[in-house]
Amino acid sequence: MDDEKHFLETIRPLFAGWSKNTWRIEVALSADQALDILKGSQFDLIVVDVNMPVLDGVQFLSILSRRYPDLKKAALTGLANEEKRSACLANGAELFIEKPRSAEGLKSVFTMLDELVTWRPQTGFQGMLRRVNLQDVIQMECLGRNSSILEINDRKVSGRIYIEDGRIIHAAVGSLAGEAAFQKLLALAAGAFQLQPFEPPPARTIEGQWEFLLMEAARVRDESAQPAADAPPEPARILETPPADGLPSLLMETLICSGQGKPLYQWQCYDANGRVELLKKISQYAARLGRLLPLGKFDRLEIQLHDSRAVAQAKPDRLVYVQAALENGKPTA
Amino acid sequence: MNPALDQWLASCIRASGTLGCGVRLPDGTCVSRSVHEGFPQTHLDETLRCLAELSPVFSGQGLFPRWLTWAFELGQIRVIIRSDGVLFVLAVQTNSLAARNLDALTGEFFELKLAD
Repeated sequence: MDDEKHFLETIRPLFAGWSKNTWRIEVALSADQALDILKGSQFDLIVVDVNMPVLDGVQFLSILSRRYPDLKKAALTGLANEEKRSACLANGAELFIEKPRSAEGLKSVFTMLDELVTWRPQTGFQGMLRRVNLQDVIQMECLGRNSSILEINDRKVSGRIYIEDGRIIHAAVGSLAGEAAFQKLLALAAGAFQLQPFEPPPARTIEGQWEFLLMEAARVRDESAQPAADAPPEPARILETPPADGLPSLLMETLICSGQGKPLYQWQCYDANGRVELLKKISQYAARLGRLLPLGKFDRLEIQLHDSRAVAQAKPDRLVYVQAALENGKPTA
Repeated sequence: MNPALDQWLASCIRASGTLGCGVRLPDGTCVSRSVHEGFPQTHLDETLRCLAELSPVFSGQGLFPRWLTWAFELGQIRVIIRSDGVLFVLAVQTNSLAARNLDALTGEFFELKLAD
């Protein structure tokens, strides 16, 4: 949706061609037109221009989020700034993109949108998790756009985090509420939790993006991590089973594939196809970086996450992804 | 250009083994410093854009990296993503003083106050 007719006429055939005509593309010059089109059939993705007359893109994203919670949304703007980015992401956009000024830029936008439209969160699995931390649970709930109440208890405190349609809207522990309560709960070294059905909270005290809240929680936890003499910090456990023979206890995920992406060995890898696609992308980008900068052959990509570290290797004869938890902030594998 | 960022970028390239560095701001502006002739500013700017493009690929997989290290035969590229959307890239030679300094610079970048 964009009020610039020329822009729509330019991108429509380009995107159709780049998608090898697997995309069916509808264009709208206004929010009214877009809503009419959405009523007519089911869509996977909408791309919204932020600077629209009458009803701006941010307000429109908010309407879309309420009416079409499963529709993926991307915001496009000619003038990107942090304020707009935050507003769009807070109103349901999964992606915030600056309007490109070149054909190469348009191709990049297409690639990002294609990634967004083909990504599907895993749903419907049941199983046992050997151990998990609160960040993982919150991330799963938010990525799945679920609504739930996460009840958290340790020996001394008991609190609740409210998640509605994948957004963290309220947290409370003791006399604390809002982000302070959220950070306090996420700072707990160990404890138990339960996911309860969603009920409206007594107040809505949190508005920030869940990604940023989790990043901030990880930063606070990293900074305050002190090895306690009596109880070493450990992630909350929901079910303890002995680690498989020969595997380091903090190993979280392993995937080894042939160079063509055929899985040869996997352990605790719940989205092997997704990981293979990631490894292929890493290989493509490593080749691009290698063409730009004279650094020799690509060896590996180290990915430092908040509570774990992953190593990805993409070689002609193999693709490898290994992720391991960090113990006291230090890599163990 | 934010003066604090400008000053900090200048301090980043002092360690021996630094090849180049740069920052991409949330509005798409790229600022880079070349140290080695094989790493011209235009290529560093393109590197910044290329690496910024890759971010959604990770988030699409439920991964939200604090930083990434692209390890090549002759050097490494450290990519750091702040929660405010500012992305920093530093290219260093393998086994150099700059390579040993990567984690310290990463910490500094997270702490850097950029608000005017």
